[in-house]
Amino acid sequence: MPTYLLFDVGSTYTKGCIVDIDQERILAQASALTTATTDISIGIQAVKDRMMDVLSKVTIDQTLACSSAKGGLKMVAVGLVPDLTLKAATLACYSAGAKVIQAYSFMLNDHEIKQIEDSGCDLLLLTGGTDGGNRDVVLHNASKLSKLNRKFPILYAGNKSCQDDIRAILSAGGFDITICPNVMPVYGVLEVEECRDKIRDLFLSTIVKAKGLSELNSLIKEIVLPTPYSVMEALKLLSSGTKSESGIGDLMAVDIGGATTDVYSMNKQFVVKDNVGYKGLKEPLQKRSVEGDLGVRFNAHSVYELKADEVDDEGMKDYVQEIEEGKIDSFDTQKDSRLAAWCCEIACQRHAGRMETSYTPMGVGYYQSGKDLRDVRVMIGIGGPILHSKNPVEILKKALTQKAHPEILLPLEIEAYLDRNYVVSCLGLLAHRHPDEVLRLLKRNVEKLNDE
Amino acid sequence: MEKTTIVIGVIGADVHAVGNRIIEYAMNQAGFNVVNLGVMVSQKEFVDAAIETNAKAIIVSSLYGHGELDCRGLGDACKEAGLDVLLYVGGNLVVGKSDFEVVEEKFKKMGFDRVYPPGSDIEQGIRDLMADLKNKA
Ligand code: B12
Repeated sequence: MPTYLLFDVGSTYTKGCIVDIDQERILAQASALTTATTDISIGIQAVKDRMMDVLSKVTIDQTLACSSAKGGLKMVAVGLVPDLTLKAATLACYSAGAKVIQAYSFMLNDHEIKQIEDSGCDLLLLTGGTDGGNRDVVLHNASKLSKLNRKFPILYAGNKSCQDDIRAILSAGGFDITICPNVMPVYGVLEVEECRDKIRDLFLSTIVKAKGLSELNSLIKEIVLPTPYSVMEALKLLSSGTKSESGIGDLMAVDIGGATTDVYSMNKQFVVKDNVGYKGLKEPLQKRSVEGDLGVRFNAHSVYELKADEVDDEGMKDYVQEIEEGKIDSFDTQKDSRLAAWCCEIACQRHAGRMETSYTPMGVGYYQSGKDLRDVRVMIGIGGPILHSKNPVEILKKALTQKAHPEILLPLEIEAYLDRNYVVSCLGLLAHRHPDEVLRLLKRNVEKLNDE
Repeated sequence: MEKTTIVIGVIGADVHAVGNRIIEYAMNQAGFNVVNLGVMVSQKEFVDAAIETNAKAIIVSSLYGHGELDCRGLGDACKEAGLDVLLYVGGNLVVGKSDFEVVEEKFKKMGFDRVYPPGSDIEQGIRDLMADLKNKA
C-alpha cells in the first residue's frame, strides 16, 4: 500500500506529513508559520525542508492537499424561511467545509442582488420550498440571479418541482448550474449529504481553478478538499469507526485559527430527553459550525469586544490593539491562550442547542432546539492557539455547560484531547481510501490530556 | 394532479395528541398532503410551515381550554407573511361550556374562516374545506 505526502495549506500554519499506510505510521510531520499574505508555495517549501531527512529516503506514491487558501470556500446561502430552508442551506454549506459569507431569505431585492454580485463568493447555494411546496419565491430568486454580470457556479437544492425551470432560467443567464436533491424535502427534515457531496465535487472540478490558486502551480491538481471538510471526515471516522473497528463514540472538537473558530459535534443519535418538546429543524448528527468573527489574530479585536463587558484587563486591551495594528513582534502565549479560551467559549455556545423553559397555564414546559450535547465527554482541541498553549485543558474546559447558562446544552464534563502533531486535517484526506489504517492512526495521534 | 397541502397541529402548550392523529389520518384519507406539526405548536411554526410547503389551509386544534389566548394574532401573522390560506380551528376552544356563538364570533374576528364547537366531527371539517377550496379556485 502506498506512502502519501499530505498538506494542509492556506491557514496560519502550513502543515504536512508523510504517511506510510502499510506500517500505519506517520514517518514525518512538520508545520511552518505562514502569514496570510505570503505565497502558499513558500509555506509548502518550508514544510518540505523540515521533513527533508525522511523525504529524501522514501518514495512518495501520491501527494494530496486540503486548502483553506484565499479565504477558504466562500459561499452565499439563499433560502425561503430563515428557520427552515435557509437554516438547512447554511448547515449544508458548513458541513461541506464552506464559510457562509452571506445568507438571504424570502424574495431577493435589488440591493441584496447587488451585495451578492459584490460578495466575491465561490459558489451560491439556492434553496427554497419543500418538494411540491412553494415555487414562486425560488423562481423569482433564480431570475433575479440570472441577470448578474459576475458568473459563479450555482447549486440548486430546493423544491424539486422547479428543478427544470431553475435550470433553464440560470443556464440562459450564463450560469453553471448544478441540481441536487432538496435540503429540506419535507417539512422539518434536513438532508444535507448529497448537497455536501455536490459542493465537494464543484470545489474539486471548478472552484480550485477559479480561485486562481496558481501560485500552487504543481500542487494545484493535488488539492482535493476544503480543509474543514477533511477535518470533518477525520472526526467522523474517529467517532463512528469502520466495519471492522469501533470508533471512540460521540465527540466534540474545536479548531481555533487566526481568523475563524470551527466547532464540530459528532453524535450517534439525536438526543431529546424525556418530557422535552423539540422545536424546528433537527440538526445533523455530524454538525459543523464556523464563526467568522472569532480568531486569535485577524479577529482578536472582535473577540475582545465580545468579552469587554466581563473582563477588566488593560493588558488584553492593549494586546489586541497591537495585533490589530500589526505592531506586534513577539506574540504572548499566555494572552493568546486567553483569546483562544474566549473563542472556544463563544463558538461552543453558539454551536450547542438551547433548552427553553416556558411557563404555561399548565405548568412548566421544556422545549429544545438544536443539539443536546450535555452527555458528550470527548472534547478535542485542534489548531495552533490550543496546541501552543501552556494549558490546553483550560481552554477546552470553556466548552462546558456554565452555571449561569444551564439553557445552553454543552457537556457537563469533558475529557480533553489534543491534535498534538497537527495531523487531523491531513489524515482526513485518506479517511475514505484507508479507513481502518487511518482510524488507528487517529486514535494514536489524538492524545488524551491530563487535568493539570 | 398534485395533492393539496394542508398544515395541521395542536396550538400552544397543549399536549392532547390523540385527536391530532385522527385528523392526520382522516385528512390523508380524504386525499390531502398533510404536514402534521404535532402538539405544542407555536404560531410561528404554523406560519413558517405553510410558507415553505405552499399550504392552502391551516387546521388548528386546541383541546385544553386556552385556545383564545394561543390563537390570538395567528390570523394577522398569516396576513403579514403574505399567506393566502384558509384558517380553521376546533377542539375545546374555551374552558367549560360557554355560549358557542360568542366563541365563534371572537375567533372569526381573529381571522379564522371556520370555527367548530366541542365534539365536532372532523369529517364535517373536511367537507367544508373541500367546498371552501373549490369556491376559492
Ligand atoms: C386523554 C386526555 C388527557 C391526556 C392527554 C394525553 C395525550 N398526550 O394525548 C392528559 C392526561 C395528558 C391530559 C391532560 C390535561 N387535560 Co385532558 N383530557 C383527555 C381526555 C380524557 C381525552 C382526550 C382525547 O384524546 N379525546 C379523543 C380525541 C379523538 O378527541 P379530541 O381530542 O377532542 O379531538 C377530536 C375533536 O375535538 C375534533 N377536532 C379537534 N380539533 C379540530 C379542529 C377542527 C377544525 C375540527 C373540524 C375538528 C377538530 O376532531 C378530533 C378527532 O376526532 C379529554 C376528555 C374527553 N373525553 O375529550 C380531557 C380534556 C381534553 N382535558 C382537559 C384538561 C383540563 C386537561 C388538563 C388541563 C388537566 C390538568 N389540569 O392538568 C391537562 C392539560 C395538559 C396540556 N398541557 O395539554 C379538559 C379540557 C377542558 C376544556 N377545554 O374546557 C378535558 C375536556 C376534560 C374535561 N372534561 O375537563 N388530558
